Amino acid sequence: MNIEIKNSNYTTQEKLQILADAAKYDVACTSSGSSRRGKKGELGNTEACGICHSFAADGRCISLLKILMTNHCAYDCKYCINRASNDVKRATFTPEEICELTIEFYRRNYIEGLFLSSGVLKNPTYTMEKMCETLLLLRTKYHFNGYIHVKTIPGASDELLAAAGYLADRISVNLELPTEESLRTLAPNKTMKTILNPMGKVQNTIAAHRMAIGKTAYMERSRGNQLLNNGIFSEISKRNYRESLEEKKKTDRLSDGKDGTLPSQKEMGRVDGLLTWDNAYQLAPRDMSGLKRRFAPAGQSTQMIIGATGESDYTLLQTTQQLYQGFDLKRVFYSAYIPLNEDDALPGLGTPTPLLREHRLYQADWLLRFYGFQAGELLSEEKPDFNELIDPKCDWALRHLEQFPVEIETASYARLLRVPGIGPKSASRITHARRYGRLDFASLKKMGVVLKRAHYFITCGGKQMYHTPVEASYIMRQLVSVDKKDVWNIEHSNESYVQLSLADFGIG
Amino acid sequence: MTCIYDAWSEALRIGHDQIQLKKEPILQQTMFDEYVHVDGDNVKAEKVIRSVRRDISDEAYLDVYYASLSVEEDALQAIYNFLRVGFAVGSKVLEQYSNPHVIRMLELRRKVGNESHHFNEFARFQSLDRKVYVSHLEPKSDVIMLVGRHFADRMPSEHWMIIDDNRKTACVHPKDGTNYLRYLTDDEFESLRKTEQYEDEYTEMWKTFFQAVAIKERENYVCQRNLFPIWKRKHAVEFRTLRI
Repeated sequence: MNIEIKNSNYTTQEKLQILADAAKYDVACTSSGSSRRGKKGELGNTEACGICHSFAADGRCISLLKILMTNHCAYDCKYCINRASNDVKRATFTPEEICELTIEFYRRNYIEGLFLSSGVLKNPTYTMEKMCETLLLLRTKYHFNGYIHVKTIPGASDELLAAAGYLADRISVNLELPTEESLRTLAPNKTMKTILNPMGKVQNTIAAHRMAIGKTAYMERSRGNQLLNNGIFSEISKRNYRESLEEKKKTDRLSDGKDGTLPSQKEMGRVDGLLTWDNAYQLAPRDMSGLKRRFAPAGQSTQMIIGATGESDYTLLQTTQQLYQGFDLKRVFYSAYIPLNEDDALPGLGTPTPLLREHRLYQADWLLRFYGFQAGELLSEEKPDFNELIDPKCDWALRHLEQFPVEIETASYARLLRVPGIGPKSASRITHARRYGRLDFASLKKMGVVLKRAHYFITCGGKQMYHTPVEASYIMRQLVSVDKKDVWNIEHSNESYVQLSLADFGIG
Repeated sequence: MTCIYDAWSEALRIGHDQIQLKKEPILQQTMFDEYVHVDGDNVKAEKVIRSVRRDISDEAYLDVYYASLSVEEDALQAIYNFLRVGFAVGSKVLEQYSNPHVIRMLELRRKVGNESHHFNEFARFQSLDRKVYVSHLEPKSDVIMLVGRHFADRMPSEHWMIIDDNRKTACVHPKDGTNYLRYLTDDEFESLRKTEQYEDEYTEMWKTFFQAVAIKERENYVCQRNLFPIWKRKHAVEFRTLRI
């Protein structure tokens, strides 16, 4: 294939059309996690809560200008619309065009920042260099101080990775597929190693930077996590995780077998791979010293495609948990696979998008990050997939009915959080409010407890809301009917309706 | 704030339960009540603010401030009720989630806070001369000063103004200066309206981007309407062609 940067005759608008269209399958569009005040003479700040500026026809938020630098690609990943063997319109932005667009959009308050990804032009290093050049231009010449999320290209050099980290707020590498094996079938040019290696290095650098300014090595998590001993971010599970790694190392040396888990970064042999400011600094063609900023303050993230290969939800969730614990990722995104290419290794073109499965995985992801659950509690080898009918938390509760009902007036924060219908906010409100007086069901409702789910599992002042048996099959039946409409909506969200006409019956 | 001061001093004479605070204009008169019109008075307002911050907490004052911007009919009464509880209990009042007055206060605060956050998101600026950027909003609650505060941090070195079309007020930000509120005359308002019709190449490109980034296979207009209600779209350029 012939790849040149040929800015053929497309106008900027046409390029934007092509490259935004090509970038839309990337899911991450958050602008949160980084808080920076504005500066005089510069444009922009960042808000920790993130800001969505609009919502597209698919209901997904638009907060960043999500574009590819180019959709020329040397790789031939089977699932991707921009693979080398596809015949699609190809275009490339120049760095100036990207900067102009970002600045002008930002000033009109259309976007919150830039999300820059790219196809592989010539080779990873060349592509990454171009991307860094763009970011540098944006930060120096255009004085842009807003949010930037950059995708790194697997296989780019350390210097470039370092430069990208200093220039951007969030940096991410897409894992795409959770196992080495499916990566080999679907993305022949990528390996687990080229993806996890930069991830490990970025993690180490972020940790070093955080230590240097007096924070903990690990990223901030939601505050409730401090109270949860069982959660994946607690000290205990961090220690357990380290121990299990040691354990695994020993057994691996004996058997040298490959199980389904991700190799940790220690096994990759690059513990000392720290990206330094000097690395980045050498590279810059112009003076960057005015720019010395924190390394990727919003951390890193990744995304996985679901439904393209045969992995179970259990594998995906375990991988997710390992990514949070081993690589301290801020977020893991899931993307329901939409059939775009025809290939033997992929589901056929008409396969429906597994939207409900994606939804269940996100629900479970929240349970890991905010509710103190572990992947092993939600799913197991024997039961590897989520229940289609009810959400993972209800499902867990039904399998552990011996722990219910929970008494609202005395239960600990961690116990409250495990009740379906009670979230971090209502749980903390309950713990505050009960210090000042008795609670009843009406006030619980006002505090935000979803009683239609919760009332089967709680007692308040020793009484249940209604006389309901604490019995799995009964509660299951009730909960399914509560959620039926939502589930149906998700499954059928992209269908539309046409009025029947007589012609449909063969009359007229 | 002044009306709270007056109401409170009146209440000391006749009892708290006899007092009701309402916003003007009052459409439905009742038979047995006496109506007292209250004009703003800085000294009295200062006094109320000072005692709220001293006797309850700064956080509570912030809640009261947000609630006072609210469009809800009973906002003033809710503030008054909340302060009655607040002055009795002190700084712990904000944790008493089982008290209906406290809950109502938090609801108001959340509503106004959410609305201002939404307009941080959905405000669209447009400029005729690339120097002054103008944005039009039609918020229900009076949130433009809150929105303006967000943009003062974001774009400190630009001239811009945010206009509330319902109230005909503007939050003006001169380059490298501080925000101020201005009541617009009808002439000014009419001439500023024109900025909205103007579109340039970047508006076009934004619309292109907006269309291109949606995934057809996942189309979900219900979700879009939930997250971006139609009444908030009035001034968002990406929806303008769709309205014709």
